[in-house]
Amino acid sequence: MVRKNFWSGIVVASFAVLALTWIIPNYAGTNPFARMPPDLVPSIAAWIMLICGVIITAGAVIEMIRSGQKPITTDIDWRGLGWALWPFVYVGAAIYFLSLFKITYVGIPLIAGLLLLLGERRWYMLLGCSVVPVLLLYMLSVYMMRIGMV
Amino acid sequence: MDFTTLGAAAAEALTLASFVGIGGGVLLGYVIGVIPGLSRSVAISIAIPMTFYMSPYIAISFLIGLSKGTAAGSAVSAILLNAPGEASSAATALDGYPMAKAGRPKTALQIGLLASVIGDILATIILIFVAIPFARVALMFGPYEMAAILAFALVFIAGLSSGSLFKGLAAGGLGIFLGTIGLDNQTGLPRMTFGYTELMDGMPLIAVAIGTLALSEMFVQSERLRHERGIMGVKLIHRPDDRITWPIFRKIGLTILRGTGVGTVVGVLPGLGPSVGSFMSYGMAQKASKNPEQFGKGAPEGIAASESADNAVIPAALIPLFGLGIPGNVSAALLIGAFAIHGITVGPLLLREQPELLYSIFAGMLLASLIMLALGWFGLMAFTQITKVPSHVVIPIVIFFCLAGMLLQGYGTFGLIILMGFALLGYLMKKFDYSFVTFLVAFIITPMLELNLRQSIILSRGDWSILLNRPIALFFIVCTLLALIMLAWRTVKTGKPAAGVPAD
Repeated sequence: MVRKNFWSGIVVASFAVLALTWIIPNYAGTNPFARMPPDLVPSIAAWIMLICGVIITAGAVIEMIRSGQKPITTDIDWRGLGWALWPFVYVGAAIYFLSLFKITYVGIPLIAGLLLLLGERRWYMLLGCSVVPVLLLYMLSVYMMRIGMV
Repeated sequence: MDFTTLGAAAAEALTLASFVGIGGGVLLGYVIGVIPGLSRSVAISIAIPMTFYMSPYIAISFLIGLSKGTAAGSAVSAILLNAPGEASSAATALDGYPMAKAGRPKTALQIGLLASVIGDILATIILIFVAIPFARVALMFGPYEMAAILAFALVFIAGLSSGSLFKGLAAGGLGIFLGTIGLDNQTGLPRMTFGYTELMDGMPLIAVAIGTLALSEMFVQSERLRHERGIMGVKLIHRPDDRITWPIFRKIGLTILRGTGVGTVVGVLPGLGPSVGSFMSYGMAQKASKNPEQFGKGAPEGIAASESADNAVIPAALIPLFGLGIPGNVSAALLIGAFAIHGITVGPLLLREQPELLYSIFAGMLLASLIMLALGWFGLMAFTQITKVPSHVVIPIVIFFCLAGMLLQGYGTFGLIILMGFALLGYLMKKFDYSFVTFLVAFIITPMLELNLRQSIILSRGDWSILLNRPIALFFIVCTLLALIMLAWRTVKTGKPAAGVPAD
């Protein structure tokens, strides 16, 4: 947890610095005549993140010094990391296909593929669990919401 | 109270469309609640796109019914599988599962159902009698008071619903930052849109809600599948003596009332959530019991205490929502989004501008409680079958509906990419113990907070001394500072969360 706090604190503080030095000055807009300029609230939010990020990192550093831990470890569970990552890759690929085809068309292979990858091998489960949700979506979009196929 | 409006509200609640909408919400909630791992906020975020074609009354009642159904349904898996449908039912499993293992699963389920329904109805009645006078007082509040109350609620939620105050505040800061994206409401300038016209209206709430709550949860669950597979449940067998009897009901009556009281108080306070309510109620019931040693071994009072408080939190959390427009938890925050989709600003103005709608929602909530009782009582055997549905079947279907929900709202590929971004953010927040509850509540209330802050600064012409003439605003500013100091001290001193459970 200490190592997690250390790295997450650094990420939070880094994002806050990026927001304060680049995002807000360039994209938040300014209005010298407004009593409350448009960049005030985002700046306050970024300062909150920066202060909290620094406190979280500092707390983790103190804890690491006390317990003799290092911020980097070689003991990484690569299989676990792969297992955690593949659903993101799968959904990312699905989004690419959804930019080309309607979800009503690709819904069945999308669900069936994920079921197969998660270990489902019974054909009737694969068929039922992938067809029924797509049919429900079709009925919702075409007959109830009347917006056509999505 | 205007009796004509009340009559009209009751009439609307008793229409066929109302029965179908609310009944559908409760049924869907029950089904989702029974499935371990699917929480009520996940259910609401996925269901919001389904409400686009409904009338505002049916849509909101459907979502509230869904929320109530999920709370009641989660007890089924807690009792039969020892795997609570959501965190707030974990206390139910402490006594529910041992009772089910001892051969009385139906009794445990019936106790859970009755406690849920009674707690829910009583808290709804309290909501009706408290929210309306509360809203009348809140109508007198100006931007100073509203800005101060919103800031207080945010600090309170950050401090209580996260692993540490600083992580909670960091999550809140990110929520505020992302909540300011879009056109600035005073100057009309695009703010942090990076040239994307899709972001002119701000980050789409549906993408933020579905991404951080539902899709990220599915990624967490799929990762968990690596270690946890298979279901070990208690079978429901017909036995004539396995049912709730009058002596058992008499035994749990007082516990249900106490649980309702605890749940109501916890629900009103922002940031605490049903998990705190159910565990607090369980602890109080154990202390008040003549046989505290029976708790954890199948005591009916344990189930009743937990379930009554869990369900009482839902209507009670709507008191600050209808009274002040402030969401106390994620479910209430999502309801603000649902109201906004239907063009309604929730808060005290709702009472003045659309009293019929408010009374109809109250009537719909009572109807939802009764439907919940009927569905739970007669559909007990059917719902127990759902506990057999494994996670690996649920995950692909939920992911499909997450993607479909975005497309139904017409966001296209851009919306899907934002959804994916927030799913990744939600996943990392869960992994690194940052409060996604604070993040989401901050994101949703930021436009309101900024508007009130801006009005306060313009009205006061930058003169802070004006606050001395606004005692309520000053009171909440002092409370915010005190809460900040106390919670920071507690975090630094103990290094542990003040509550540490999500205010789902």
